[in-house]
Amino acid sequence: METNERISPDEAAAALAEARRSQARVAWSGYPWWYWVATGAGMGAASFAIEQHGWLGYAIPLAVAATLIFVARAACRARGVCTGWVHGPMTARDGALLYGPASLLIIASAAGSRFASWPPAVGAVLVFLVFVVTGLAQGARAARS
Amino acid sequence: MSTPHDTELAASAEADGFDEVIHAPVRLRICAALDQVREIEFGGLLGLLDISKSALSKHISVLADAGYVAQRRAVRDTRQRVWLHLTDTGRAAYRGHVAALRRIVGDGS
Repeated sequence: METNERISPDEAAAALAEARRSQARVAWSGYPWWYWVATGAGMGAASFAIEQHGWLGYAIPLAVAATLIFVARAACRARGVCTGWVHGPMTARDGALLYGPASLLIIASAAGSRFASWPPAVGAVLVFLVFVVTGLAQGARAARS
Repeated sequence: MSTPHDTELAASAEADGFDEVIHAPVRLRICAALDQVREIEFGGLLGLLDISKSALSKHISVLADAGYVAQRRAVRDTRQRVWLHLTDTGRAAYRGHVAALRRIVGDGS
């Protein structure tokens, strides 16, 4: 541990915690509600598209990707935060928290519909709900902190 | 041309990375927010930090005088907006300050 005559380790730890809280706010809060709903719907549609054969299997993901880019840009303008294309404000842990459960559900839904009589639409709805609830809950939590 | 005030602020960044300009709580939060993004609109930062407009303006001025934050004006929806971003110097100073804080805490990561 290094000593510093200006601040104590406790003060430094408090400052680091303050910086982390600020980062969490930028990562999660300030998004308009429609961002979570539209992105969740896009992920649900992607989950549904995996089960489709023929041109629908290609057309849906392309339409979803284009829509999500448009939605992300509109949300950036609405919340007044402009991020880069490669590095967003979320850490890897934030990204795993947001996209992890929905991604696992997409995989489980694809496996379920292949090996059992699991309707793809049910998986799509679950993916939508999980994503939207996670995004809104984390956003509210970051805003409170 | 640098003013005595600028020189004083620049001198506050010690060799160990600890930076008195950034260490003020609100300025640390501003830098932490700006470090993760390309730029943030003044109003957006106001909402994220939950402080008054005048307080934010004052802290932005200090950071801008030190050369840590730059501003860009753009018109959107017929209103002029101010977008803020960390300069390269500001980003390096913020990251150096965070590294210094971690050393003080004893966390080398």
